[in-house]
Amino acid sequence: MQKNSYNLSIQVNYTEQDLILKLKERDTRAYSYLYDNYSAALYSIILQILHETELANDVLQEVFINIWRKIESYDATKGRLFTWMLNIARNASIDTLRSKEYQNSRKNQEMTENVHTKTAGLIHLPDIDNIGLVKILGKLKIEFRVLIELAYFKGYTHEEIAEIEGIPLGTVKTRIRSALLQLREYLQ
Amino acid sequence: MNIQQYISSGIVESYVLGLAAKEESEEFEKICAEYPEVKEYREAFERSLEKTAMDHAVLPPATVKSRIFAEIESEDQEGSRPTLIRQVPLTAKLRTGSWVRWLAAASLLLLIGSTALNFYFFSQYKEYISKYDELVTNQNQMAAVNLDLQTKLQGYETAFDKMRDPSMSLVKMTGTGSHFASLTTVYWDTHTKDVYLLVNHLPQPAADKQYQLWALVDGKPVDAGIFDMQEGFTFVRMKNIPVAQAFAITLEKKGGSAAPTMDAMVVLGKVTG
Repeated sequence: MQKNSYNLSIQVNYTEQDLILKLKERDTRAYSYLYDNYSAALYSIILQILHETELANDVLQEVFINIWRKIESYDATKGRLFTWMLNIARNASIDTLRSKEYQNSRKNQEMTENVHTKTAGLIHLPDIDNIGLVKILGKLKIEFRVLIELAYFKGYTHEEIAEIEGIPLGTVKTRIRSALLQLREYLQ
Repeated sequence: MNIQQYISSGIVESYVLGLAAKEESEEFEKICAEYPEVKEYREAFERSLEKTAMDHAVLPPATVKSRIFAEIESEDQEGSRPTLIRQVPLTAKLRTGSWVRWLAAASLLLLIGSTALNFYFFSQYKEYISKYDELVTNQNQMAAVNLDLQTKLQGYETAFDKMRDPSMSLVKMTGTGSHFASLTTVYWDTHTKDVYLLVNHLPQPAADKQYQLWALVDGKPVDAGIFDMQEGFTFVRMKNIPVAQAFAITLEKKGGSAAPTMDAMVVLGKVTG
């Protein structure tokens, strides 16, 4: 298991298997450990999607409550615990991003911006903090970067992206796959 | 199936990041269960993703954790509490008329509704109480810090006013013997003859010792007072000295001495002009 410097509680070492077992038994100490170890990493992803601390705090709370409620359904054969949590965090963030209230509150800011214009992805890029995946994204070619930004951080489907970018669906799919392969190399 | 080709298609990364379509994911899970090399490749990507996320982690505010724990604890309690519906007896007596039954059903619904609302308001109330307490604590801490800063600032302002007073005459006192690094300055008011001492640099004395300032008047030492080293910045008012040719500081026992211990002299400075 990844050790990190953000653990503020008394260090108890769990293997990933142990941790999952304890979580499924609804052991609050294990849950506290989970929070101490992973909340900062997940918070970073949430912030990268939402860019607003208040909203990100609420989403992080929602995410950890969902982890607590849904831990029964976590299946270790399908991926690591962190991957599962990361996807919960990303989905919750994108739901919030898409929710009507949020859209409304941002309306004034985005008045001039139409997501169905070709430059939607580009306009958002300079806003992004220089952290995490976003930082690595910066190394990608611009056409790859825009696609990952739209797919991963904005949660658009391949079909929506094809429409936004005005390129064929097949091309969207191949380019995203190539972008991801490059991303993998940068992560290593 | 060519597994290498499958792996290098980008499906693994797409699946892990939640970008794969439903059918693609289902297919991937099957292939993953069948081919250990695919699973290995997936895990390697998951680990590097996890490492990147950990390396770029951003600490959330501490309040989020307490909010989460308050919520899961209240959920646990609600789960173990018997529900109200089971406690309300629905007896045959209610069959006397359809309106009575209707009324009973309606009031039951109202009761359930208001109980739910009570739960909701109570948990909100608890949350606000804890938020309020937190704010009060923060406020008190900040007020204390503020007071501390104000006191310090006032001290600095007084010192600064004295230092820039044009009627001040300065006597620089340099370290003697092994105390070459020590340095203090006397600010001597030429009108009132009040003496202020600025500690530029002096080592912190032992707990049972205190520094004592002396004025040398016609070759004789006159006590000008003892002083303590303050945190950060020492500028203290000493005794009034009408005439002196030099000033010196010795390290004495706590409370000071009647006559200076000459071999414990730390700094010395002659009055010029």
